[in-house]
Amino acid sequence: MEPILQVSHLSVSLPGKNGPAPILKDISFSLKQGEILGLVGESGSGKSMTAFAVNQLLPGGGKSITGGSVLFAGEELTGKTEKQMQTFRGKDIAMIFQEPMTCLNPVFTVKRQMTDVIMIHEKRSRKEAEIQAADMLKKVHIRDPERTLSCYPYELSGGMRQRVMIAIALSCSPRLLIADEPTTALDVTVQAQIIFLLQEACQESGTGIIFISHDLGVVSQLCSRIAVMYAGTMAETGPASEVLKAPGHPYTKALLAAVPRFTSGGVRDRLYAIPGMVPDPSEIQRGCLFAPRCPHAMDICRTEHPPIQNLGNQHQVSCFLEKGVSRGDGIS
Amino acid sequence: MMSLIKIWKILRHNTLTLLGAGLVILIVLMGLLSPLISPYDPNLMNIPARLQAPGWSHPFGTDEMGRDILTRVMYGARISITVGVSIVVIAAAVGCFFGSLSGYAGGKVDRGIMAVTDMVLSFPSMVLALALTAALGPGLFNTMLAVCIVRIPLYVRLMRGQVLALKEMQYVKASRTFGAGPVWVVARHIVPNCLTPLLVQMTLGVGDAILIASSMSFIGLGAQPPMPEWGAMISTARTYAIDQWWYAAFPGLFILMTVMGFNLLGDGIRDILDPRSVKN
Repeated sequence: MEPILQVSHLSVSLPGKNGPAPILKDISFSLKQGEILGLVGESGSGKSMTAFAVNQLLPGGGKSITGGSVLFAGEELTGKTEKQMQTFRGKDIAMIFQEPMTCLNPVFTVKRQMTDVIMIHEKRSRKEAEIQAADMLKKVHIRDPERTLSCYPYELSGGMRQRVMIAIALSCSPRLLIADEPTTALDVTVQAQIIFLLQEACQESGTGIIFISHDLGVVSQLCSRIAVMYAGTMAETGPASEVLKAPGHPYTKALLAAVPRFTSGGVRDRLYAIPGMVPDPSEIQRGCLFAPRCPHAMDICRTEHPPIQNLGNQHQVSCFLEKGVSRGDGIS
Repeated sequence: MMSLIKIWKILRHNTLTLLGAGLVILIVLMGLLSPLISPYDPNLMNIPARLQAPGWSHPFGTDEMGRDILTRVMYGARISITVGVSIVVIAAAVGCFFGSLSGYAGGKVDRGIMAVTDMVLSFPSMVLALALTAALGPGLFNTMLAVCIVRIPLYVRLMRGQVLALKEMQYVKASRTFGAGPVWVVARHIVPNCLTPLLVQMTLGVGDAILIASSMSFIGLGAQPPMPEWGAMISTARTYAIDQWWYAAFPGLFILMTVMGFNLLGDGIRDILDPRSVKN
């Protein structure tokens, strides 16, 4: 099947203290229709930037993209004008955000905000748009759509707002939905409901979803493929089950070790934390960016950029270690 | 849309705002209806009846020409309200335009606009208005123009701050991901969210503008006699202030009431426009 989104060798630079700082370096991944891709990594690893680059909404505008291509349904998005992009945004590519509390305009009712988006993209009368808005709210399992429509955002809980956001995002049946940490600010039960909603949208209308998260637990439940990002580079991509069971990159392994787990009885050791910090993109680095924090780092890691290794089954890893570290030690 | 009933519901529990609104309505009505309800002609001289103390035929007394002070105060309301409102509307319109431009465009445009704004703001507003009026020549229109120029920077600063803050709001960014263009973003998300502080500032500004304009008339640069402007009336009344207290007291009282009315109303408008106070 033709991928709905094909990002290849994408590089992005933003103005920094000492001239342009590379934020994304040679990012490649693809997404098929009806597939959910988990984009994981620490804060500052470039997950959100990747999302904004796909949408062409980078802070510096189109000129921030220094190389590579973003193919959406076979159409090149880099180099499109702002006007051309506006027809894609919301209609074909929708996005939801981490903080549902601040995503809705506080001075308008939910109805107004939902119909606005519908009316930007589809030639509908306000009446028709209102009916569609109510339908969308039903789809995201809001029990009393009419009442919710007449509410101002402050009258809704975080979970409700996120549902409204998802309803808005899905209202023009986009082919690609980018969910930027949509469950981070929500409590666990609501989180589960939102994940269920996304799964439903994906299965029913074949929307491809990029699910950005630093929560590997959530990602493992939801996603069929995982892409692990580190400091603006792609560390590892592959099928979710494989990446989680047999991580090829020391960073993925470290991330997995840092997930808190419940154990029955007895005192657990301290939670594993990856030593060091994500490097500052404005400083010039050589070699593998993870090398300073990597327990397996070799001399070559500090001087040369690691090649992309194929571990089979579309599982790729950017590391010098042969066959990854799945059976290596150092991190437990 | 917010209905009048809802506005009333909010106002009912807010005595001070109600008082402010009442004062403003009273003064505006007084000004509008002055030709109908005033007992005399504002410029009708009656020398035998000069400087009479308040009494049945002249509730506020008469001035040195025998003109009825109540009538003149009523007509003065017209001038003061017109002056106050037009100064604020023009200053706000110009200020908002440059303020939003400054905030949204950023960079050189922003630096240029803010440099001029800071320069104007660094003068005491009264002194600058005085200097401008002196340069333009005395008269009510020139005074209005001068006060207007002095007030513009307030709105530039207000709007710029609002736009800068709102530009970074998640819902403004979110609306761009839903395919909204810049015009839509400004019209739909930025302007409506600026309205509350703007309207509050404008209402408070009317009282302020009236006060400055009256002060200018008081020192002889604004409205010229025989115009029944409150500040100008007090200015002439100075000579009689010791023996004929009513001459200066009533125009002064009305300046106080008007300015206070607008200030109280301005504070109350914030509560009315807050969507949180509308429901239930």
